[in-house]
Amino acid sequence: MDEFERELRQALGRQPAPQDLKSKIMARRAQQPQLVRQPRSTPRPHVFHWQRMAASITVAAVLAGGLLWREQEQRRRGEEARDQVLTALRITGHALDHMHSQLTAHDHAAEE
Amino acid sequence: MVHDDQLDFEQLVDEHQAMVYSLALRMTGDHGLAEEIAQDVFLELDRNLSKIESADHACFWLRRVAMSRSTDALRRRQARRMEQWVEIEEGHGAKAESSSSPLASGLSSRLEQLLATLPEAQRAALLLRYQEDLTPEEIAAALGAPLATVKSHLQRGLKLLRAKAATHLHEYIR
Repeated sequence: MDEFERELRQALGRQPAPQDLKSKIMARRAQQPQLVRQPRSTPRPHVFHWQRMAASITVAAVLAGGLLWREQEQRRRGEEARDQVLTALRITGHALDHMHSQLTAHDHAAEE
Repeated sequence: MVHDDQLDFEQLVDEHQAMVYSLALRMTGDHGLAEEIAQDVFLELDRNLSKIESADHACFWLRRVAMSRSTDALRRRQARRMEQWVEIEEGHGAKAESSSSPLASGLSSRLEQLLATLPEAQRAALLLRYQEDLTPEEIAAALGAPLATVKSHLQRGLKLLRAKAATHLHEYIR
């Protein structure tokens, strides 16, 4: 550190704060809503812990139930649609068979 | 518990008010603004008192927040109007000189005035180095800046200040 830096250090000594600074700070502090100061080390009561766990389990159960119901509903609708398609195919098959037998009978009559 | 907090808080104000006020004053050059910043910084400390782990932590926290609030205030003021700066600088210089009389104090106040003309980042680094006696590593932590940047600001700031002193303070500098 040279002479200039020593001068600078001397020049930059801390200035005293205004005499009423502290009282102004304390006055403003008093005007503010009182903070609820909780020591960092204080553990949360166990009851909150269990309440949180119970709430989490309930939410998880409701969600899982909802998902299961949705899956079953989709499966039921799918089976219903499949049955309807099979019925339609069966009816179409009968109609075609009937038409085929009529055509065959018509052909025989024409040959005779 | 609240009473203990209050005692601790008051003790912190007693111990660190000069540091916080000086940092704000030398960063902004404005007594009124510096006082306002110091009040805000301590009220913020009060709100965060539960996070403060030790006396050293409180000191570090106060330095960091004081520098940050001062920088914010400077930027807000620069954005508002530039001409105010001239008035404030003149006022600051006049008051500083009035509080000191002999030759040595004259040099000190002139050095302070020259410091106020440095770019903001260089001024902040020099202030923490020569007012607070911090190492470059500690300055980097206080300003939240890379160490290389802080070293560069210190070197350039000191060089610029020497040059200004050589020009303006030749009657004092041998």
